[in-house]
Amino acid sequence: MTLRSEDLIRQLAANLRPVQRVSHPAVATAAWLAIVAVVIALAVLVSGPRDDLAERLTWGADLPQIFAATFTGILAAFAAFQLALPERSGRWALLPVVAAVAWIATMGAGCLQDLALLGPDAWRISMSMSCLAFIAGLGVPLTVAMLWLARHAAWLRAGPVAALGGLSAAALASVGLSSVHGMDSAIRVLLWHGMSVLVVAMLAALLGPRVMRRGFAAP
Amino acid sequence: MSDGRATICLEAPAPLALRDTTLAEGRDARDLRWSRMMVAAQAGDARSYAALLRECLPLLLAVCRARLRDATEADDAVQDTLLTIHRARGSYDPARPLRPWLVAIAERRALDRIRSRSRRARREAPVDEAGEITSGERGVETELDAQRAAAKLRSAIEALPLAQRTALGLTKIQDLSLAEASLRCGMSVSALKVATHRAMHALRRRFGPEN
Repeated sequence: MTLRSEDLIRQLAANLRPVQRVSHPAVATAAWLAIVAVVIALAVLVSGPRDDLAERLTWGADLPQIFAATFTGILAAFAAFQLALPERSGRWALLPVVAAVAWIATMGAGCLQDLALLGPDAWRISMSMSCLAFIAGLGVPLTVAMLWLARHAAWLRAGPVAALGGLSAAALASVGLSSVHGMDSAIRVLLWHGMSVLVVAMLAALLGPRVMRRGFAAP
Repeated sequence: MSDGRATICLEAPAPLALRDTTLAEGRDARDLRWSRMMVAAQAGDARSYAALLRECLPLLLAVCRARLRDATEADDAVQDTLLTIHRARGSYDPARPLRPWLVAIAERRALDRIRSRSRRARREAPVDEAGEITSGERGVETELDAQRAAAKLRSAIEALPLAQRTALGLTKIQDLSLAEASLRCGMSVSALKVATHRAMHALRRRFGPEN
């Protein structure tokens, strides 16, 4: 036993290379948000902002939902960078829960308001693949960027870190989507935004650890 | 840190070694020293790194033994921990003590071992069921045949090149995932895949296809 450990220590020391120290979670989150802001701003510019964006923001009806989604994205990213450090508590994973619940609640409240205004027509659900395409199209590459930033977690808590990274990327992409096109009913927002975010977070949880280990981590 | 002192730390029983270190200099002073050694290791100082790993080995072993009663498994978990420390060394923040960072990694690797053991246990067939088949004269013959076949297989595996033998042992016999096997032996996942594939191919060529 002792000999095997001694051999391994000798090998590890012989192969030692200087490493760059991982940034503090707050700094890493700031870097991540800067990347997200640039990518989403470009996507919004390319897609063209919705015509009534200024009006909607002034009116304020969409603001709680946008704020809740933004907070979910920021807190999920901060939690991912905390969890990526070995000695940090696993309870950091719960950090975005309140914001995520608030986000779902704002979408649910919108559904009820629509129901009061429009009656059963408010519950008519139609396909909106463009939502899924926008959120997944931005969320997946952004998740990959997050996995690269948190690659030091590849051999520790890769699954939860990747899932939180995916949640953060998808939540922020959903904010970008709200600036691009309006939804005619809250149930569509809840269904399509919610489902797209869930798909990205689940994909991240399932495939993220492999991507981190094979693509980004030290062998 | 001299090699002599490191050897004493390695060979002493874990709790005694821990007590000795604590008595000698106090936990705060030791944490500070370990932290400095790790910072030097992050900058590429191999001597500090080796000395640090040797010094913290009793702590890692104590953590793994607290979770895993089997000494061999605890030792394997310590090896996994050393590999993870190496891979994740950039994630240590010198503003914090090193001990919790080390303990967290050791706990995680020990828990991985427990999970892997329970997965293996679920897949293994109960020995009692196999015993019924080998009862009676025919059973004895069958058992002898099985023993001969097992001996042939063992010698065929022993004849494989080292990398293939290691890959086969970890992925097919110990039934570890590629990631876990990679952690254990230090081979990359793709190298493990290739080595396992070649080993299986060599065995099939010798014994014919599986039924």
